[in-house]
Amino acid sequence: MTGLSKISAPAVWPAASPPTLTDGTIALLNLQAQIDGLEGHSTTGEATALIDLLILRGLILGRISDYERAAQLADRLVEHADTDAAVYVARARTRAVFHRFTEALDDLDQADRISPQDIAAKRERAAILQALGHYDEALVTYGTVADRAEQFEQAAALAGFWAERGETETAQRSYLESLRSYRGVSPFPLVLLDFQLGLMWMRQERLNEARTCFATAIARVPAYAAAQGHLAEAEADLAEPEVAVARLIPLATSSDDPDYAAQLARILGEMGRNDQASGWCRLAANRYDELIAAHPGAFADHAAEFWLGTGKDPRKGLRLAEFNLRVRKTPRAYDLLAQALEANTAGAASAHCSGAHLPSRAEI
Amino acid sequence: MSDHFSGPRALSDPAADITDVYAFPAPDSPNHLVLVLDLFGKAGPSAVFSDAVIYRFRIRPLEIGAMGPEAAFAPSQTEFTFDCTFDVPSGRSDSRRPIQHGRCLTPGGRTISFRVDDENGGVDEGVQVFAGQRSDPFFLDVRMIERTVATGKLSFKPKGSDTLYGTNVLAIAIKLEWRKILKGGPLFAIVCETLAAGKQPVRIERVGRPEIKNVTLSWKQFDQINRDLEIRDLYNSEDAFDVKPDYFDAYRVRMNANLAFYDGIDGKIDWPFDRYGNHPLTKLLLADFLVVDASKRFAETSYFEIERSMLAGRTHATPGGRWLNEDFMDFVFTLYVNGGNAPPINDGIDGPIAWSSKTFPYLAPPNPAKAAAA
Repeated sequence: MTGLSKISAPAVWPAASPPTLTDGTIALLNLQAQIDGLEGHSTTGEATALIDLLILRGLILGRISDYERAAQLADRLVEHADTDAAVYVARARTRAVFHRFTEALDDLDQADRISPQDIAAKRERAAILQALGHYDEALVTYGTVADRAEQFEQAAALAGFWAERGETETAQRSYLESLRSYRGVSPFPLVLLDFQLGLMWMRQERLNEARTCFATAIARVPAYAAAQGHLAEAEADLAEPEVAVARLIPLATSSDDPDYAAQLARILGEMGRNDQASGWCRLAANRYDELIAAHPGAFADHAAEFWLGTGKDPRKGLRLAEFNLRVRKTPRAYDLLAQALEANTAGAASAHCSGAHLPSRAEI
Repeated sequence: MSDHFSGPRALSDPAADITDVYAFPAPDSPNHLVLVLDLFGKAGPSAVFSDAVIYRFRIRPLEIGAMGPEAAFAPSQTEFTFDCTFDVPSGRSDSRRPIQHGRCLTPGGRTISFRVDDENGGVDEGVQVFAGQRSDPFFLDVRMIERTVATGKLSFKPKGSDTLYGTNVLAIAIKLEWRKILKGGPLFAIVCETLAAGKQPVRIERVGRPEIKNVTLSWKQFDQINRDLEIRDLYNSEDAFDVKPDYFDAYRVRMNANLAFYDGIDGKIDWPFDRYGNHPLTKLLLADFLVVDASKRFAETSYFEIERSMLAGRTHATPGGRWLNEDFMDFVFTLYVNGGNAPPINDGIDGPIAWSSKTFPYLAPPNPAKAAAA
């Protein structure tokens, strides 16, 4: 918590008035237009911009193929422009997307050597440290760029940070500060924040608050797949499974991310519609296996959750939960492992037999 | 696309990212003045205007305040604005472009409605408005400009590579009967802005002169005072007609440093600093609006002729302003590096993929999607 008092939000904030934002349909058309316009890019700056835009579209539409494309571009870019810090930051982002955190930090080290004062590199490092569960270091790193970062970006980063920590009051304050300081009209930065807050409430099992956040994000960008998916999850938990199913079917059909099919299978199973559930379950299982083969670190946690639940293969779930904990030692990773151990009758012995060295949660 | 990627904030919303502004007497009608705002550099086929942005043209009559080394403009406090706004698109046209409608609020308070991409635009009492996707009229070789700055040596090749070849922008063109619509003149200052719509619109970006933010202000390495400062977002937030004193010196010092760098590229000084320690162009360039004389006949290459005449203490002969087809990068490098005291500098790019025409809406139709890649 060191340094926190200097950069966290003050106690009292005026209510943020609704920002004026570009309609979500327009924003998505223009995101597509930006990507199309940068294909055949001619400068390094344009190439790194294209990588960022592909990652953004992947985030919004839930398209793993966009992440994969961004990663390929970043690898090629580093080969051709290895003296430019920005290309290492861009590749670090793509590696972080796939939870290849160690390699991402290597890239940021290289960016630091080329350009020690690079704010983008420091912000990226803070985000990765946060993802790894190194919260104190992440907070200090966010603090090092506080003076030079845009007010919105700093507040948004802290809102996400506190949301992940479950510090609801502080996260809300930072969220309001983000809204208050936002000067743009693109809806994307705000929907990503709405989503972070929604996830926070889901973890706190405050489903109505979660639903409000996800619905806000969707009102701003209707095509935001992850928000739609989590809204469906909240709706199902709020005893509105039919609404959830109707929301998930188009996502599960169109997305190459198996989370939606898995979610749909779970809800249909709980509704007793087992025939339908099994089809979506098979689809999710096959896709998780493909993704684990290609990007194990990125999908270990979600795949583990699937196999521990709807997928009904707790041993596979345990292996993935153990692997996930090796990738990042966050409270959520520990909780997932505990869930996996419980689901496997051998409990702690399973962890021992796997040969994994699993530090205790108290060590983080 | 001289102002593309002009600041991190503008990057977040491409439909608010101004690339260029042009102002010229209509080639096809001496009673009309034409104003053009280009946005969204390298726009793909699906690009549309934002429904949350006001696209504003600000016009002020101005006088020449001083001639000679102290040359300065004196803009009037009277201002005329055209505000263009757009709806959310509905459906697709035959060309697969989203169908979008817009409107333009004139200084007289009249509203002109139009359909985006309709070459006839909307018309009302001395004003014609077009908005839509067009070929980017700007041309330059960004790599060689960057290399020139990195090495301190002119790096242009005899045959350069146009960074914007075959690319498109979103454009708004307004043709107006200036004696009827505006008061005062014939000298006018033009600035275009994008603003977040709302009860109190907030300026996102502003552009007057070409290549002020990118070629002239963006380089940090020559600035001995604010080497770490990304100055462009600050600069964008200023009112072009009322730059606040808080950061004025930051802009002045940065511009002095960068102009001195350019002047020194050829190994001789064509622009000795004045007794206040300023580059002779700094004050005029920080008056960051296009200056056009609407009473003069159309000219192909007249950008900055008014200002150069002022510095030389003589009366200008052209409309100044900026025409779509002018080879701006050749002009600006010649101006900055040798002040016209040596042969013109050629950046190796002599034209865009398609020249603009001399009839409304002036800008060439959009290029097919594959043109840039080819």
